[in-house]
Amino acid sequence: MLSHLFKLIWNKKGAHSLLIIEIWASFMVLFGVLSLIVYNVRNYLQPVGFEYEHVWNLDLASNQDTLEVAAKLERALQRVKAYPEVESVSRMSSNTPFSANQMGNSVTYNKVEVGADFYSTDGELSKTLDLKMLKGRWYQESDRVSKFVPIVINKAMEDKLFLDEAAIGKVIKVDDKKSFKVVGVVDKFKSRGEFMSDEPAVFELLAKDDVWNANMLIKTKPGTDANFEAKLVKEIAVMLPGWGIEVSYLTESRKNRQNLTLVPVLIFLIVSGFLLTNVALGLFGILNLNISKRKNEIGLRRAMGATEGRVTTQFLGEIWVLASFSLLLGLIFALQFPMMNVFDLDSEVYIIAIFAAIVIIYLIVTLCAWFPSKQAARIHPALALHEE
Amino acid sequence: MIRLENVEKVYRTSSIETLALNNINLNVKKGEFVSIMGPSGCGKSTLLNIMGLLDAPSKGYIEIDGSRVEKYTDKNLAHLRNQKLGFIFQSFHLINDLSVIDNVEIPLLYRNSSAKERKELAQEALEKVGLSNRMKHFPKQLSGGQKQRVAIARAIVGKPEIILADEPTGNLDSVMGNEILNILQKLNEGGATIVMVTHDDAMAKKTHRLIRLFDGTQVF
Repeated sequence: MLSHLFKLIWNKKGAHSLLIIEIWASFMVLFGVLSLIVYNVRNYLQPVGFEYEHVWNLDLASNQDTLEVAAKLERALQRVKAYPEVESVSRMSSNTPFSANQMGNSVTYNKVEVGADFYSTDGELSKTLDLKMLKGRWYQESDRVSKFVPIVINKAMEDKLFLDEAAIGKVIKVDDKKSFKVVGVVDKFKSRGEFMSDEPAVFELLAKDDVWNANMLIKTKPGTDANFEAKLVKEIAVMLPGWGIEVSYLTESRKNRQNLTLVPVLIFLIVSGFLLTNVALGLFGILNLNISKRKNEIGLRRAMGATEGRVTTQFLGEIWVLASFSLLLGLIFALQFPMMNVFDLDSEVYIIAIFAAIVIIYLIVTLCAWFPSKQAARIHPALALHEE
Repeated sequence: MIRLENVEKVYRTSSIETLALNNINLNVKKGEFVSIMGPSGCGKSTLLNIMGLLDAPSKGYIEIDGSRVEKYTDKNLAHLRNQKLGFIFQSFHLINDLSVIDNVEIPLLYRNSSAKERKELAQEALEKVGLSNRMKHFPKQLSGGQKQRVAIARAIVGKPEIILADEPTGNLDSVMGNEILNILQKLNEGGATIVMVTHDDAMAKKTHRLIRLFDGTQVF
């Protein structure tokens, strides 16, 4: 029976070409949207790798003040540290967790080059964000005297750069200029939130006289409220007159960051939903028309021994065969993505999206063909055979 | 082989009731070649449809090869049609998108025969009607007579005991019509029971028995 269905569709391939293209286009749209969804869902299921509850971001801007900026920043840091409401505080570059800022650079080791996010921090960050150390230790003030700048990398970086080697103690080159020594490896650090993939990250110790990285991450004790925030801002403003001072909560920044990812995904979903609904309605109409044109054939098949069930199965089978042709065509395109590592995504993302798109396409065509096929089966054979 | 007792067929719409067949009693014996004649609209095709289990009588009962079928399910009826009956239609009813051999194979699809067996039986049937050289052709490439021969091959491919032919020569010229009748006569000589609806007296005279219908009633 299957070969019979293939013959029926193949011999009418010209008439079916538009339908095949329509299903193919639906598959490609679905594949794109599902790749995006699978990518984000997989990322979402991975922990961010740090603690953001009760962590505030104090963003300082020296504006026109150029006098003793480093010393002023240090004094402000010590003042914040001294509050009883504060558990720990760490200076950090402007690419704080969930912010829109990014700092990237390439790292080279043994001719392997890997792009990574760079974070300049002090020795307190692992405590403030409760980073999970896998190997080695976090850098400290005492590391400043060593020959190489100490860095901590994440597991993703270790895997990509050192392959099977252990990272601790290795000296790496950044941008082919500065040399850094790995002193520790942390687990994940998805600074741009849950929807970010686990990308290579490098944490480097801030220079003692650094004046550019003026963010402070403050871990407050549970129950610390806006009164403390007001007090903090007021006192820092007195200490640093003319400076810009802004406090944000990482929990709020996280929500904003999530929306930045979810909104485009939702827009894609709505647009593709409309597209698929149109395709489904079109398909339904075509199948209905097709069946009314083929009443003689239905009557003939019933006369030759087809049951109502066989007629239904035949029409469903035809649309499945048609969908299979479209999907084969779609697979030729879709499989290029994992094979050519497009967008540097894990091939698993594309494979899952391909399978999900195939299932959805078969589901849609089955739903669209179900009613017309049932209708075809109910056509009275004697009447069908005498209709011209 | 086919027995109809007190068969009545009424077509009903919301406002009209039409008596298509009235008290038909008929017994077609195994190996008989029977023709049915009558004016247009007298119920010939309705009678053939009822004999072919494509339609159910409003009253009375039908027996095919000793089995009464009024309580048969759709599946049983389909099985019986597939195994015992072969149909030939005036307008051939070939599927234009399938080749000649694929058209002939259709009844065997519903027997779940293997592809090899289907092909062998279809070739054999096409040889019987003299079309073994047209197997790969499509219906549009054939003449009317050739199309009807394909339809006959399709009707006999499953070796049914009964062949029901609804004006098989109606769309053909007299030469082609005679050719088709010759094939049917040969099939009958081979043991097939044939019931043929026709408008052609000359054709009807060549059959064993003639049944005449008028306004849904069997006249003699």
